[in-house]
Amino acid sequence: MLKHPFIAIAVIASTVGCGEMTNGQKPIVESKTAPEAGLNEMLKDVASATYSLDKNHAFLTFKVTHANGLSNYRMNFAKFDAKLDFNPNMPEASKIKVTIDPTSVVTNYDGNYKAGHPRSSFETWEEDISRNERWLNSDKFPEISFVSTSAERTGTSTGKVTGDLTLLGVSTPVTLDVTFNGATNFQWLGDRDILGFNAQTVFKRSEFGMGTFVPYIGDEVSVEFSGEFVQDE
Amino acid sequence: MRLILSALALATLIWQSSAAQPVKGVPSDSYTLEKTHAYLIFSVEHGGLSDYIVNFTDVDVDLDFNAQSPELSKVHAVINLTALNTNLPDPDQKVEWEKELLYDAKFFNAKEYAKIHFKSTSVERTGETTGIVTGELHFLGVKKSVQLDVEFNGSGKSRRFGDRTLIGFNARGSVKRSDFGMTALIPFIGDQVDIEFSGELVQVQ
Repeated sequence: MLKHPFIAIAVIASTVGCGEMTNGQKPIVESKTAPEAGLNEMLKDVASATYSLDKNHAFLTFKVTHANGLSNYRMNFAKFDAKLDFNPNMPEASKIKVTIDPTSVVTNYDGNYKAGHPRSSFETWEEDISRNERWLNSDKFPEISFVSTSAERTGTSTGKVTGDLTLLGVSTPVTLDVTFNGATNFQWLGDRDILGFNAQTVFKRSEFGMGTFVPYIGDEVSVEFSGEFVQDE
Repeated sequence: MRLILSALALATLIWQSSAAQPVKGVPSDSYTLEKTHAYLIFSVEHGGLSDYIVNFTDVDVDLDFNAQSPELSKVHAVINLTALNTNLPDPDQKVEWEKELLYDAKFFNAKEYAKIHFKSTSVERTGETTGIVTGELHFLGVKKSVQLDVEFNGSGKSRRFGDRTLIGFNARGSVKRSDFGMTALIPFIGDQVDIEFSGELVQVQ
């Protein structure tokens, strides 16, 4: 539970100002001269606990270039989960495990897939991307995962998280650039703390054996995450 | 120091001259969005903790591209508020939430304002492949001038479109939704809306 006078004020103010808004927002303290003090202030009263992804406030995107760089092709995973063991006293000792369901890929494909791909055995473009052996091959590899192995702080609220990315049965270390966006409490979640993070990285899909259409479709996969974690009960 | 200065002068010269160059190998023509290779997202902060992303899945873009003087090109983009995608994992919740986002008067109010329009008014080149497109954003009945940072990614052909040329762009910009009267849940849900587009446009036959 965060104990900050701003929370009470914000809850009262927001409840008065708008019947539906009941957050208590902790201000993010930025200090360029004393980064440790800044982060310590942000993490004061944050529970050392296991946190689970708030799946309704989390986005995971893969992007690749298309047609030798004419555009960026963007896909989201609608189903993924993460468990975070968060250590506010020593954030670099925190641990995270992420699992992604490759069948949940969403491309917002606008077109008649069957007409455009008459020989395909799949019903939709998304099924093609998730199940086709040359793409995510999810029948054989039903899970993509990331398990952190180490973390390093790089600034007041930034760090690098290194871990093993397992994709298509191949595990390779990747490093995520992570930003801690802050901590708060929501009235409807009581004492449970909520943490927000952004993360990004780039990996080469060819390193996981997915060389299909490289370089017409880019080898580099740009990964973007933004989401919230709620302290387990 | 002199070397650095002359290198700088040379770089400036190259940059200026390239900024005035026509776009080679691309016909001046009308282009329309190739919808299977395009995305448009709006992103707002949620509780200051995360970025909330909304995908618009029904978008039209018409571009009059002038290869001789790209700054004379004109673009008209329309977001049809028939559908959007929040990627909410629970299917029932997703339907409900997206309906609310689309039709609730405090959000996109699509029954009253079924489309969001962006019509360019001027284009300024800032580099060989970059520019600023200024235009009028017509959203929730309010018209306001906004600027997009645009990058030209190049041109190509594909088997699917035969002789028709494809050109690709990225665009980014930010608007304040309160400027258009959408003030719901500010500041818990951020006022600033970040807009991101990437896509290909195909020459109209």
